[in-house]
Amino acid sequence: MTRYAMVMDTRRCVGCDSCTIACKVWNELPLDVLFCPVLRDGPHGVYPHLHMNHTPLLCMHCAETPCVHACPTGASRQDADGIVWVEEKGCITCGACIAACPYNARHRDRQRGVVIKCDFCKDRVRDGEEPFCVKTCHQRARVFGDLDDKHGAVARLVNSLRTERLFEDIGTEPQVYYIMSKGGQG
Amino acid sequence: MKKHAEATVKRHAHVWTWPIAGYLFLGGLGAGMVIVASVGDLFFGLGSFFIPCAGCSLVALGLGSLLLVFELGRPLQFWRVFSRERAVLTFGAWMVVCLMVLDAVYLGFWFDFVPWSGLFWLRSAVAGACLLLGCGVMLYTGIELSSMKARVFWNTPALPILFALSGLLVGCAGDYLVLCVWPYSAEFAVAAAGPEGGLEPVGGPGSAGGLGSAGGLGSAGSLAAVQSILVVCMGALSVVTLISVLIYVLMMYTSSTAAARKAAARWLKGAFAWAFWGGLVFIGLVIPLLLLAFGSGILHAGAALCVIIGGIFLRFLVVYCDDMRDLPGEALYKKRLPQGDEAFLKADW
Repeated sequence: MTRYAMVMDTRRCVGCDSCTIACKVWNELPLDVLFCPVLRDGPHGVYPHLHMNHTPLLCMHCAETPCVHACPTGASRQDADGIVWVEEKGCITCGACIAACPYNARHRDRQRGVVIKCDFCKDRVRDGEEPFCVKTCHQRARVFGDLDDKHGAVARLVNSLRTERLFEDIGTEPQVYYIMSKGGQG
Repeated sequence: MKKHAEATVKRHAHVWTWPIAGYLFLGGLGAGMVIVASVGDLFFGLGSFFIPCAGCSLVALGLGSLLLVFELGRPLQFWRVFSRERAVLTFGAWMVVCLMVLDAVYLGFWFDFVPWSGLFWLRSAVAGACLLLGCGVMLYTGIELSSMKARVFWNTPALPILFALSGLLVGCAGDYLVLCVWPYSAEFAVAAAGPEGGLEPVGGPGSAGGLGSAGGLGSAGSLAAVQSILVVCMGALSVVTLISVLIYVLMMYTSSTAAARKAAARWLKGAFAWAFWGGLVFIGLVIPLLLLAFGSGILHAGAALCVIIGGIFLRFLVVYCDDMRDLPGEALYKKRLPQGDEAFLKADW
């Protein structure tokens, strides 16, 4: 069965924000909304051994979805392939899913009165293409694919390198795996 | 471009704002009032005095629901909130609506022209259902917030308990104020007491044990006795709530999560300190305790009013304390986001 996931190789990420801008343009996001910001942390270390950490974010498409459980209308959904999305027709923007999401991945679109979020560019994915942020990343820091495909890039990276997931301790089972810049050796 | 920027860049630092705080307060107030009224009716035969409180509870819940609808991005689609069976918010919405309907039915026992006003068995059944649903509504507001795993200050089982205590406290205060201002006629007060009266204790005309029976608290002078019971309840609940609030904030202040410690520090000595110490602790709990202990008459009414103000402060403080755990670099990122007043957003392109 298909289970979409993404691997973020932060060793490769240079914080250029290409993915952030590409996503914003592709999804025609409002001015105050970003689906995939890149966090910067650092510099760490002592000169000349300095490094910056770049953490690209997006919806984690959790296996245990607090946002979907919190939604009182059923507009927040998760497909069998793991993609979490919002059916705009059913959304009343009550804010319950925004409050429930630990990753700040949901946003109010005040003009349309709905909640919007990253949906892994599901229309592109169903057409056999990659999400737009993955396609744009010239450093190949973002890798997208089917986690259940043993020979796929995502499964190989997750199974061969040490990866981390954000806020794993709260039990949301996020499906975005990070190869951290100071690690990743299996 | 300018108009578009103003319309879209309106960054809210908080997931919910004043309408939800108002809803949580009014929900707690409405539920607390009807719980106290139902207990008074079912176990002490004082329903004759408390039935107007059901009407006030109905108004509070109605106003709270309006605030909730006002907060929605698409208010006219509010009915969709009833459409999913497993969400806490859906449970809560159904409970609030059912409680409002029961409040209206309960209020009907006050009026002779209502067909069911003489059915004592129905009154006790409705009071019992109001008690159960009132408890549900009072707890649900806290459970809704505490179920948010992402919000460190909310995500604890202590929050529903704190909201329940506060709900009962403001419920007592609300009922006390209704008893103070409601124009009970002397005839009604006498009628409420006697076996021939139109409004009897739940046990019916022949019941002996109820406080509303002749010779009990239901005599013409019994209004003061009922108020004195509420004063004792308010005093006890104020002490318990004060201790609970302090324990809750100190528990967060010593939490292992940095974001929770930061949030609690804001309550104790930061931006929220004036509202916490001044509004919630001093006006909402300490002054009422002093007035209840050493005052009488109008001062007790003042204490009830202070308790209600404290209840409002508690909900606002909690709703505006929606801190999340930050990822490394997230604070810096948030600081750089546009606020809507940047020059390039105001420029007329």
